[in-house]
Amino acid sequence: MNGMPLDLTIPAQLSFALLPDLLLMGGAMLLLVWAAWRAESVEHQRAIGTASLVLLALAAGAVIWFIVRGIAAQPGPIGVDRFRWIADLVLIGGTAAAIMLSMDYNERELIVAPEAHVLILLATSGMMLLAAARDLMVVFLGIETMSVAVYVLAGMNRRSARSAESALKYFLLGAFSTAFLLYGMALVYGATGATDLGIIGDRINQYGLTSSPLLLIGIALMLVGFGFKVAAAPFHMWAPDVYDGAPTPVTAYMAASVKAAAFTAFFRIWYEGFSPVFVSWHNTFWWLAALTMVVGNLIALRQRNIKRMLAYSSIAHAGYLMLALTVNSAASAEAFLFYVFIYTIATFGAFGVVVALGEPGERSLAIDDYAGLWTVRPWLAVAMAVFMFSLLGFPVFGGAGFFAKWYLIKAALQSPSPQTKLAVVMVLTSVVSAGYYLYVVMVMFMRPRLASAVAPARAGALTRFVVAASAILIVVLGVFPERFVRQTHGSAPLTATRVSSPQSAVPLPASARR
Amino acid sequence: MRELLDSVQYDSWVLLALLAIPIVAAIAIWVHGAILGEDADARERGGRAARQIALWAFIIEFVVSLGLWWSFDQSTAAMQATFDRSWIPSWGVTFSLGIDGISLMMVLLTTFLMPLAVLGSWTSIRLKRHSYYALMLLLTTGMLGVFVARDLFLFYVMWEMMLVPMYFIIGIWGGERRLYASIKFFVYTMVGSLLMLVAIVWLGIRAGGAGTPDFAYESIRQLASTGGMGTGMLLFGAVVPATMFMFLAFALAFAIKVPMFPFHTWLPDAHVEAPTAGSVILAGIMLKMGTYGFLRFCLPLFPDAAMYPAVRNTFLALGVVGVLYGAMVAMVQPDFKKLVAYSSVSHLGFVMLGIFAATTQSIQGALMIMINHGISTGALFLLIGMIYERRHTREIAAYGGIARVVPLFAAMLTFVSLSSIGLPGTNGFVGEFLVLLGSFQTTPYLAMFATLGVIFAAAYLLWAIQRILFNPLDKPVNEHIPDLNGRELAIMIPLVAVILWLGVYPAPVLRRMEASAELLVTQVNATGTAVATRSAAAGRRR
Amino acid sequence: MLLQHEVLPGHPLAGTAAAWMWLLPLLPLLGFVINGLLSLIPATVLGPSDPDIAHGADGAHGEAGHGEHVHALDTADAHGAHGDDHHVVVRHRFAGLATFVGPVVLAASFALAVAMFLAMRGLGEMREPFVQTYFSWMPAGALQINAAFQLDQLSMMMVLIITGVGTLIHIFSVGYMQDDPGYPRFFAYLNLFVAFMLVLVLGASYPVLFVGWEGVGLCSYLLIGFWFSDKANADAGKKAFIVNRIGDFGLLIAMFLLFANLGTLDFVGVNAAATKFAFGGALVTTICLFMFLGCAGKSAQIPLYIWLPDAMAGPTPVSALIHAATMVTAGVYLIARSSTLFSMAPVASLTVAVVGAVTALFAATIGLKQWDIKKVLAYSTVSQLGYMFVGVGVGAYTAGMFHLVTHAFFKALLFLGSGSVIFAMHAAYHHTGNHDDAQDMRNMGGLRAFMPWTWILMWIATLAISGIPPFSGFFSKDEILGSVFLRARESTLADAHWLGIPGSAVLYAVYALGLAAALLTAIYMTRMMLYTFHGPNRSGEEERKHLVEAPWTMTGPLVILGVLSAIGGWLNLPHFAAFAGSEEMLGHWLEPVVGDNQLRVTLGRIPEAAGNTETFLIGAAVAIAILGILIAVVRLKPARLVPKAQSPEEQGFERVLLDKYYVDEAYDRVVVEPTVGLSRGVLWKGIDQGLIDGVLVNGSAKLARGLGGVGSWLQSGQVGTYAWVLVVGVLAVLGAFTIR
Repeated sequence: MNGMPLDLTIPAQLSFALLPDLLLMGGAMLLLVWAAWRAESVEHQRAIGTASLVLLALAAGAVIWFIVRGIAAQPGPIGVDRFRWIADLVLIGGTAAAIMLSMDYNERELIVAPEAHVLILLATSGMMLLAAARDLMVVFLGIETMSVAVYVLAGMNRRSARSAESALKYFLLGAFSTAFLLYGMALVYGATGATDLGIIGDRINQYGLTSSPLLLIGIALMLVGFGFKVAAAPFHMWAPDVYDGAPTPVTAYMAASVKAAAFTAFFRIWYEGFSPVFVSWHNTFWWLAALTMVVGNLIALRQRNIKRMLAYSSIAHAGYLMLALTVNSAASAEAFLFYVFIYTIATFGAFGVVVALGEPGERSLAIDDYAGLWTVRPWLAVAMAVFMFSLLGFPVFGGAGFFAKWYLIKAALQSPSPQTKLAVVMVLTSVVSAGYYLYVVMVMFMRPRLASAVAPARAGALTRFVVAASAILIVVLGVFPERFVRQTHGSAPLTATRVSSPQSAVPLPASARR
Repeated sequence: MRELLDSVQYDSWVLLALLAIPIVAAIAIWVHGAILGEDADARERGGRAARQIALWAFIIEFVVSLGLWWSFDQSTAAMQATFDRSWIPSWGVTFSLGIDGISLMMVLLTTFLMPLAVLGSWTSIRLKRHSYYALMLLLTTGMLGVFVARDLFLFYVMWEMMLVPMYFIIGIWGGERRLYASIKFFVYTMVGSLLMLVAIVWLGIRAGGAGTPDFAYESIRQLASTGGMGTGMLLFGAVVPATMFMFLAFALAFAIKVPMFPFHTWLPDAHVEAPTAGSVILAGIMLKMGTYGFLRFCLPLFPDAAMYPAVRNTFLALGVVGVLYGAMVAMVQPDFKKLVAYSSVSHLGFVMLGIFAATTQSIQGALMIMINHGISTGALFLLIGMIYERRHTREIAAYGGIARVVPLFAAMLTFVSLSSIGLPGTNGFVGEFLVLLGSFQTTPYLAMFATLGVIFAAAYLLWAIQRILFNPLDKPVNEHIPDLNGRELAIMIPLVAVILWLGVYPAPVLRRMEASAELLVTQVNATGTAVATRSAAAGRRR
Repeated sequence: MLLQHEVLPGHPLAGTAAAWMWLLPLLPLLGFVINGLLSLIPATVLGPSDPDIAHGADGAHGEAGHGEHVHALDTADAHGAHGDDHHVVVRHRFAGLATFVGPVVLAASFALAVAMFLAMRGLGEMREPFVQTYFSWMPAGALQINAAFQLDQLSMMMVLIITGVGTLIHIFSVGYMQDDPGYPRFFAYLNLFVAFMLVLVLGASYPVLFVGWEGVGLCSYLLIGFWFSDKANADAGKKAFIVNRIGDFGLLIAMFLLFANLGTLDFVGVNAAATKFAFGGALVTTICLFMFLGCAGKSAQIPLYIWLPDAMAGPTPVSALIHAATMVTAGVYLIARSSTLFSMAPVASLTVAVVGAVTALFAATIGLKQWDIKKVLAYSTVSQLGYMFVGVGVGAYTAGMFHLVTHAFFKALLFLGSGSVIFAMHAAYHHTGNHDDAQDMRNMGGLRAFMPWTWILMWIATLAISGIPPFSGFFSKDEILGSVFLRARESTLADAHWLGIPGSAVLYAVYALGLAAALLTAIYMTRMMLYTFHGPNRSGEEERKHLVEAPWTMTGPLVILGVLSAIGGWLNLPHFAAFAGSEEMLGHWLEPVVGDNQLRVTLGRIPEAAGNTETFLIGAAVAIAILGILIAVVRLKPARLVPKAQSPEEQGFERVLLDKYYVDEAYDRVVVEPTVGLSRGVLWKGIDQGLIDGVLVNGSAKLARGLGGVGSWLQSGQVGTYAWVLVVGVLAVLGAFTIR
């Protein structure tokens, strides 16, 4: 059947193209019923968790099946392309990690809420929708499905005031930004009369809307909305508090998967829809990217709480990913996916260590509590060091983290309008990031273990699995990246032709040379 | 000898083996440690085993590498003992190794120093020996990788890779201010190298043309010679050629590593805080990577940027400043280790002078100094470590007159210091003489100033050893220091032998360098003169 | 491979003993290795005469004891430093072996040298130097430096002196150092020195010469600081090395200039190419001046003479061998060796002559007022070296070398003589446990009665150095002064201008200075003899009983040197004093090496003094010498002298002379202290720690953390704040999109 591409106007084929998403969504519903059915108990929670892992495996299988069969589709509300599938796999993997972590975590924190896992699944289905969306409506659908679920997850620990606070903050500011997003979409629709990204792109070229204020303001407002979702400065303020308050596995989930999902949509919209007006938004992106890198890294320097530190580091990484968007080329799409993949692994690994070392009641989260960890939990310390070096983007010991950064720089320099200066900003800010990543390493390896500190309790099996798996994956990919790199080839979504794009004769305007 | 080596196709596998042996040994150490488990005396036994494994691994490494001495064909400047595999084809990254006259001696220096470094930390390292020796082994792979990489991407990976083990070695087994020193060392180096990364990517993309990038050294050199670096950019109203940015990006990374004044301040801290072996490796090998980088990349790839009068003179001047500045600051150091650290700044200043003077003699001299400094300064650090193990202080003022108590130590320290001063008949002289004589041809005045450094060298080292070895033995605590033991003699004797050999009969070494040095000189000067004439013409037009 | 002899084809010396010249330095080197190994074995055992078992017990302490023991011997002030009084006499277990090895290797190489000399004599005329190349030392592109030795008349002469005098002094040391625990170490250093000295004179190129040049500097460093436990000695050694390094700087620059302009560094090549220089041009002048800086360092000329007097801290045989006979004359040798260059550069030559003359007089004045017998000799050495430089400076290379030879004889004799005096004095003090200064002449007096041999021999040397005919010094000094006078009349130097002054005027001034120096020389030498050997004995009742002549191992060499100093002039007799075929023997011998260059200076004519001029010159020289001796005898009253302890402080100019014009202090204030201050205050504390580290490195880190602080301060936790920041951001973005 992969002979002819799917025609997404036919409902049957459309729903077939949505198979993995629907699978997950439906399965989540059933699990929800089951979860509500039985009395809340630890065993029950584990069972639900296991079930959701199985479900994720099924969804992943479906995705892989699509990839293997190489099924294509005509342009439509959803994309059936490599970009989506790889993003899906990354998201599913992240979700699995999140669920495994929370299975151990919830037990320790005495959170008996089986529905938590289901919520995660629902959020993920929303994410996969985002990864697929080629239509603003679908984008909005996905965003809301994801966000609403995550609002709840953030406040899942009912006993903790901070958890509740973070949920509230997230909700308030989230609602705030959703409004911007929606308004922006409306304006874009008003300007182009279309919500399909492809059509939007074509219309912009057709009607020469490159400087229509309606369209530009629309794009600007959508930018704000997404900027909030991916926690790009100056729309990042919520992130540290929310990440700090939310249960650690949820934090990991937000820092990695939520961000990744938002970014996929972000990327696709600007790449497929708005690339014709590249010059109009390029500078703003440039500055947002730079600002995000700087702010994230500088503030992270001051953090002494591991979760907050990782929160700011995730902001910094949002900045790096913004670089890929600023470049906005096919190469940058590949680099983008690779980076998201590695970043997800490293983030879950790091938070996995945090979960493993956390004590009931979210205590001992100060970085200094890890002093001399090397002497009591050598493997955990080594794994954490790997994640830190990977986030720092260091070769061999940081494994694939280096390749991820490298891929971004390559994309930046290779693009028709080379972003050399932004790449320089990126490397310089990542020098700053050495300040806080290495601080963790230094504390773990070079500070003596405090006499008062007791050896941390042995972490749950799943947590250890997550940590070990991520570490191994990073290191192995750090030596043999070729296999995965080839997967990302040709993963760029289709794009409308740029009319006023800078690689044509006209050079960038002076303002774009900053 | 040649025949024997050929009979086992030595050239086809030696470099790979050199990179692999340490990794294997490191893994062996860790596995062994993990098997033994946690309890104290198991750790103790494991530690002893670890240092044995490390020592033998390094000895094997040295023996294996020794074959290069004979298999190397000194008549050509081409890369030899090459080894090529594809690594990340879709990024145009290959795993290709090779050596020429420039890297040969660096490789041998590394493999020669490492066993001694292990012996140097034999008793001084007590904590977590597995990891210590394993890290030293990984470090060796990184360092050798830098010297033999024939692919810029691979080079960069190795370049960064060696940073981490050294960071841990300083930070875990170092002195009181080790935390500050280690982070300073790390960040300092990273600042430079990341800009170099951007430059490398740029070059690779240019070399690859439209298709996938190409990071092979040869093709990038090809690109450089055909001037395909791409146009420059507007800066302060003047068009600066892209090669200039590339050059500066590389040069910064290397200048920090060298370290060239004023990028040197990480060095005293790192040297002082690092454990003995760490200092030996830092001074003996790692500093050479900076100068090696200049020789391997900066000059051949961007000759007209490097030879652009303003740039060239700046580097020459900074080299000379380094010579004098390092020597003068060394003179007033109360801490012997810090004194030697600053003396490194001085010695490496000579090397920079020699490199940018760009005559056959000066470049061969620079290479000689790179070797000599490795040997002599390494030996000095080892000696400091030995006396430190006995008295637990590096304050010069804490000693005095101990030559009576430890005659062997005194003899060694005096001899090594003399070689570091550059006394004829020891290795130190050959290098400095060639560098100064060579650079005198192109920049007589700067060379003359640099020659003053010879006087200061005598001043700071003789003053130091007088205050340590000679003068009245006025501190009772010094009266019963034991003299060098067998192990320590086993460390020093090879070093002394090499010092004498390189001082009396350096010809074989020089001949192995000659072809590469001359090739470099011709490349550089061809463009150098071209640039000179061009700028002169521009001057006339203005 | 190593030691492949690549002999100049068909050179007459190829087959002869000269082919073994590589063995010359190798023998002493072997001695060094053996003695060095012996000395590294901590093997001091108690000597028979040791009163104190406890201190001899372990090696280290034995040396400690030895420290004081030796200071009693050599530097009086040391006693103030170490109060305790146990004269531990510790013999090294392998002293016997060292005694055998040390002198024997020297004697062997002396024998070889003699054989080589006879071989050369056999050839008669030999124009080409005999060059032996062993292996390639520094091949680097155009630069090809070989490890090669060169034998010609000049180096042959030096070899004979070094090995000959060296052997004598080794034998002397056997007696002098017998009770020293560092005995093998001493011979190791001494052998090493001879080896390097031979490399210096045999080297066939400037770099090889430089190996010896710095090598002897090293040995002098080690030997001056031989008794390193006293800070003064260690300081003196360090000072010698560093000051020499300043000179070596000049020599290095000279080499670089030579290579840059001639493309070669071996003597044959340079001498061949040097004549291509523009005569008296700036380039050749610069080269010569830089080279002379090196010579001034090595041969203790103004302004670098300061290290030599301190160098007397070393054992006396060292002073005799290194700081009188051989090493310090290396500068003279180098100029003679480079005579082609210097004869091309009149201005440089004049500089050499002037510096030499001034040094000669300056040092002589200081010599007038020294009380330490060795200090007197030290300054007299500096002064005599000045003479030699006057000789080679005015292009009378033979005369300069001639004085070098005779000086080697009588100055070695004087030092060894003073050595045996000190030895006797100390032995006496040792017996009575007296801690007075064994080197101060005020504590001596009347020693004639106790050590007649030393007395006679030292008088011979004194007459020789004062220039009394027919002793050797007379001929060499007279020849120098004569040639200065004649060249002042007519030579390239006379035609040149030095700092605007006509060359002839300069040369006449040099001549006058030379005469003045000769006068002072006669005075202070006679003074030394009077105070030491004549008048009443001031060493004290008890001590007097133990004053005896030194053993024959020490007096024997003195006798031989005495004979040499007496008849040494025969080597180069001027024609008026010449008998059967003995005229100008040295001159003829050296003619192939320096002949053409001397002629170049004298405009191609051998300067002939008319009869009356010659009589005047000789008369003046002799008169001056006798006058000096008479002044000393008449004015000085040894009888009135009182021992050091009771003697009053000097006043006025005497004080200035005694304190050597305060030159050392001046150098400290002007050079040393500012340099150290700059390094510590400005460079290290200021630039390194303050600017680079403090401001730039840590400063930027602080800045980053500070900015981060601002950011996290905004992160108040108040949703309101966040909303506001959000709004601001929104407005900014909208602005960026809409405002064009």
